[in-house]
Amino acid sequence: MILPEQDEPIIVQGITGKYGALHTKLMLQYGTNVAAGVTPGKLGETVEGVPVYDKVSRAVEKTGARSSIIFVPAPYFYPAVEEAILAGVKLVVAITEHVPIRDELKMVALANAHGVTVVGPNTPGVIIPARRVKMGIMPAPSFRPGKIALFSRSGTLMYEIANQLSTNGFGQSVALGIGGDPINGTTMIEYFDWIRTRDDVDAVVAVGEIGGDSEERLASYITDTKFGKPVFAYVAGRAAPKEKRMGHAGAIIYGNYGTAESKISAYRAAGVQVAMTPTEIPTLVRKTLG
Amino acid sequence: MRLLEYQGKELFRKYGIPVPNSQVIRDPAETGPALKIVGLPAVIKAQVLAGGRGKAGGVAVVNSEEEAMREASRILNLRIGGERPSELLVEQASTHSGEMYLSITLDRSRRSFVLIATRSGGIEVESTTGQTVEPIPITGLPQAAAESVASRIGLSGKSKEDFVRIAVDLERLLREQECELAEINPLAIRSDGSLLALDSKVILDDNALFRHPEFSQLLPEDPLEGEAAREGFAFVRLDGNIAVVGNGAGLVLSTLDLVADAGGRPACFLDLGGGSQQSRVEAALRLVKRLPSAERILVNIFGGITRTTDVAAGLKNVVNEGPMQPVYARISGAEEEEAKKLLADTPVKLYSTAPEAVKAVVSAA
Repeated sequence: MILPEQDEPIIVQGITGKYGALHTKLMLQYGTNVAAGVTPGKLGETVEGVPVYDKVSRAVEKTGARSSIIFVPAPYFYPAVEEAILAGVKLVVAITEHVPIRDELKMVALANAHGVTVVGPNTPGVIIPARRVKMGIMPAPSFRPGKIALFSRSGTLMYEIANQLSTNGFGQSVALGIGGDPINGTTMIEYFDWIRTRDDVDAVVAVGEIGGDSEERLASYITDTKFGKPVFAYVAGRAAPKEKRMGHAGAIIYGNYGTAESKISAYRAAGVQVAMTPTEIPTLVRKTLG
Repeated sequence: MRLLEYQGKELFRKYGIPVPNSQVIRDPAETGPALKIVGLPAVIKAQVLAGGRGKAGGVAVVNSEEEAMREASRILNLRIGGERPSELLVEQASTHSGEMYLSITLDRSRRSFVLIATRSGGIEVESTTGQTVEPIPITGLPQAAAESVASRIGLSGKSKEDFVRIAVDLERLLREQECELAEINPLAIRSDGSLLALDSKVILDDNALFRHPEFSQLLPEDPLEGEAAREGFAFVRLDGNIAVVGNGAGLVLSTLDLVADAGGRPACFLDLGGGSQQSRVEAALRLVKRLPSAERILVNIFGGITRTTDVAAGLKNVVNEGPMQPVYARISGAEEEEAKKLLADTPVKLYSTAPEAVKAVVSAA
């Protein structure tokens, strides 16, 4: 998988919408090179000085961008991600929430066939503080450059935990939201695989929640592959009822499948340090990293 | 969204999946006419979403019209997992010799739907084989894959033929109607080897409902949940007395945990959503204000894209509208000092950290 280098051009799909325009401004303020936007039928307009094209292929041609961030509403999401993949984009950050499962499955199949990394959908995006790259909607002041990789299923918890890490002197090499839906374009394990040998990452913080078994699978991965970096985790939803969707489409317990207890015990068995509250994360990190 | 048994069976019928003759009734007086169509013996089943329906007495086999009337009034007065059934399914009782389990569900790790079949119970089972799991291609379940599953669970003859047809039809239903789950449990094997779906569990993909407007009339039960859905909030009613409101699903979820750890009981989960404007904050607070079980309100905000001053202004407006439950708020993030100033002359109790606010709201009892 690739993430943009400093100053590398990126594209914003859905740039003329209220949300797309607001975050284009915030991404530019952070120092990210938003080089082009795409909205069908809006060719020739500009948003925050960024030229708008009506096709991704045209925006790629004009800017050489390899990465696109998508803000379009759910009903238009699949055509937008398909267009990006077919235009040769290699990284898609899918902010869109409420995407139907079937569209997500089609997206995964198409992205795999073309070797494209999709972050999300239903993600706050990704931020690389040292590169001033922000492809997302996260509040920039919470994030500082450093050597923690932070992966989260939840947006606000990612901001809150990043903020606490930053105030305690632990900056982030990368902070990324994997997405709150049952289907993620890229899985927790794939992100761990990507950073396992990177020397700009000293430790990993994984923020999870009820639903599915991605934490259990990650725990097996950590044990089976002898993952060498310290891993810290938090799992939200110990008090959540069963069979109720708790905000995120993916945050739901069926029977005994997807409970916080199962995730926490799998993590502990794999040697992962589990925080019981978000505030405990920096304390655990400090104990290990000093 | 989960469908009631009879709603799922209506879909089964539409897709050619065999189900017993049945009628839906809402009043014991409708039992007689229903039995004329269904015949005796019959089964009367409470139409509720809660589990443990059988154990709670929500299912009865009846052999006469008098018995049917009596059971119908009894079941309509039951509370099953907090739900009072408003509808009953009167269904032809089936005689069968074996039962199977068949479902199609999302396998989140594989990132595909899978067909799960188990052959268990029943007197005709020669060998009890375990659970068979077959991943389903995005384009649909091939006939050959269904045949392979049927063989793997030891079916042959008429049962195998029926199974293959039902599995293919169930997958088409799940794909076309965009379900997260379509389950038949039990799938009965009758003495002639034919199969019959005795129950249904169908969960629709809420995010795909915009493509299936026909389901919109089935939408929420709970009026506050319905209102929250229209406002675009994620709202779940819980059984405690502390309303929990915050921005971001994960943050609210972790706040529920903090409340429970401190010995409190949340009355609801309410996620304002990202980038909340003042008007949304006001709408959310007016909603929890009307939640009868909420004796106190806990607001947990980590401001980022959501401006803490917007939250504070919204909170102030609603608090000033008139008497309401005491509000305990933790407001943190950009512009928090200004936000706190806005709330200084209101009864809202302010805290700097979530654990402090939680401790206060729980111990206020």
